[in-house]
Amino acid sequence: MIRALVTGTRLYILQFTQNAFDLSGVVLWPILYSSIAYYLLGAKNDPHLLFSAAIGAAVIAMWSLVAIGSSGALENQRWQGTLELLVAAPMPLAVSLAPITIANGVVGAYSLVATLTWGTLLFGVPLSIHSPFAFAIAIPICAFAIGMFGLVMAGTFVLYRAATHLGVATQYPVWIATGLLVPLSLLPGWVRPISWVLAPTWGFRAIRDASLGGHPWADIGVCAILSISYFVLAMVFLQTFEYVARSRATLRLT
Amino acid sequence: MNWLRVFFVGGLTSYRALFNWISPWVFFPTLVVYPLFQILFFAYLGRYAGVQNDDFFLIGNTFVAIAVTGFFGMGHSVANERRSQTLASILASPASRLALFLGRALPSVLTGLVVASISFTLGALILHVHVGARTAAELAFAALVSSFACTAFGLCIGALGLRGRNVTLFADSIASCMMLVSGANVPLERLPGWLQQVSAVIPLTHGIKAARELSNNGHFSAAARLLLTEVAIGVAYLLAGLALLRLFEYEGRRTATLETF
Repeated sequence: MIRALVTGTRLYILQFTQNAFDLSGVVLWPILYSSIAYYLLGAKNDPHLLFSAAIGAAVIAMWSLVAIGSSGALENQRWQGTLELLVAAPMPLAVSLAPITIANGVVGAYSLVATLTWGTLLFGVPLSIHSPFAFAIAIPICAFAIGMFGLVMAGTFVLYRAATHLGVATQYPVWIATGLLVPLSLLPGWVRPISWVLAPTWGFRAIRDASLGGHPWADIGVCAILSISYFVLAMVFLQTFEYVARSRATLRLT
Repeated sequence: MNWLRVFFVGGLTSYRALFNWISPWVFFPTLVVYPLFQILFFAYLGRYAGVQNDDFFLIGNTFVAIAVTGFFGMGHSVANERRSQTLASILASPASRLALFLGRALPSVLTGLVVASISFTLGALILHVHVGARTAAELAFAALVSSFACTAFGLCIGALGLRGRNVTLFADSIASCMMLVSGANVPLERLPGWLQQVSAVIPLTHGIKAARELSNNGHFSAAARLLLTEVAIGVAYLLAGLALLRLFEYEGRRTATLETF
């Protein structure tokens, strides 16, 4: 199983780095969102705020890639006629799909480079990392946790005919509910408990605290716990889906 | 008579067949949920930044939803002919190209208006933005004008689909850039000079300005000039799109690459 996970992740990372849509997501989206944030928040003249916005924009891109990639993961297999083979393979379906969502998260992590470079070159955002070790740990943990969250989504959306579009629609709600660019204190109170169970909230905080000073290790720990919980949840969802689809012979949804 | 049949019946049939976003399974998440949360996201970001009020972001992002519909609707309804391997049959037919492709623009313009109405109404309800009946009607007119301009730009994107491999990527990238360049989310005066020059020649910018003018002051005469500019930009892109279609059809025939990827 571990070999399947590692080989699959490596394969999909290589594949996504050749995909123009994913590359545009990694480069264009974070630059765009960080630019909008810089132009709007620039009036406050707070370098820490702009740095935080750059990290927020990078996590935005990470989630977008994972949301679109994971929601379309099963739909794409259906289109390519390979879903039956994956379901019939002698390993849990979650292990076949996890590399897709993890790879999306990892490729999305490149966007951090794009936003920080963009912010430093064009907007003069000072680039200083308070705790480089925690920063180096926080990025892959954040990418992994977001990837696992995407796996839960892949398991939830499988019976929806246009799952990719449903995934696209989840982008803004998650960006809002996780406080990536807008602090949660500005949102209605009922949004906060939702943010606690969403990986981007903790991944963003971990990277931000590692960069600007704070307590990133607690956030990194929550990311790790959430990742394990997501994986278990995704296994349950996908096993249920597989059982329903096998018993009704509706794997193709046609 | 045949020209009109191709324009109205052919246009609607092709649009329905080639633009799969009008299926309720896709329409609801992509053209209702997505734009609505986009409005809320930027409205809250604006509140946090202390820049502009909710009306600013409500109008700006409603118009971005129009752009998405126009770019993808028109882009798909032309470029997907190639993907579904029907382009050669279409181009071999003696039907007027003008009727063939413009007929698809009309449903696209109307879809843009419907999407804008839904987004604006839901966004206004959630953000507690009050708009009078007269202003709403004027805003709908501005949305119709912008929908025309964006659909015309979508025709250029669709024409590129006769040669390029991926129209979706192109449409998505341009629609995303619209959020910044058209002034939908950032006041134009905050953008660098060269970006302001770009914004002056793209669809949406003048439509958004006109809509904000109508919403703030309610003087249609002040907005009329901006809407005329938006129409002129739309006409320019429409002509460019038709010219590109003609050019790529000729190139595709000459090099026998109409259906290759």
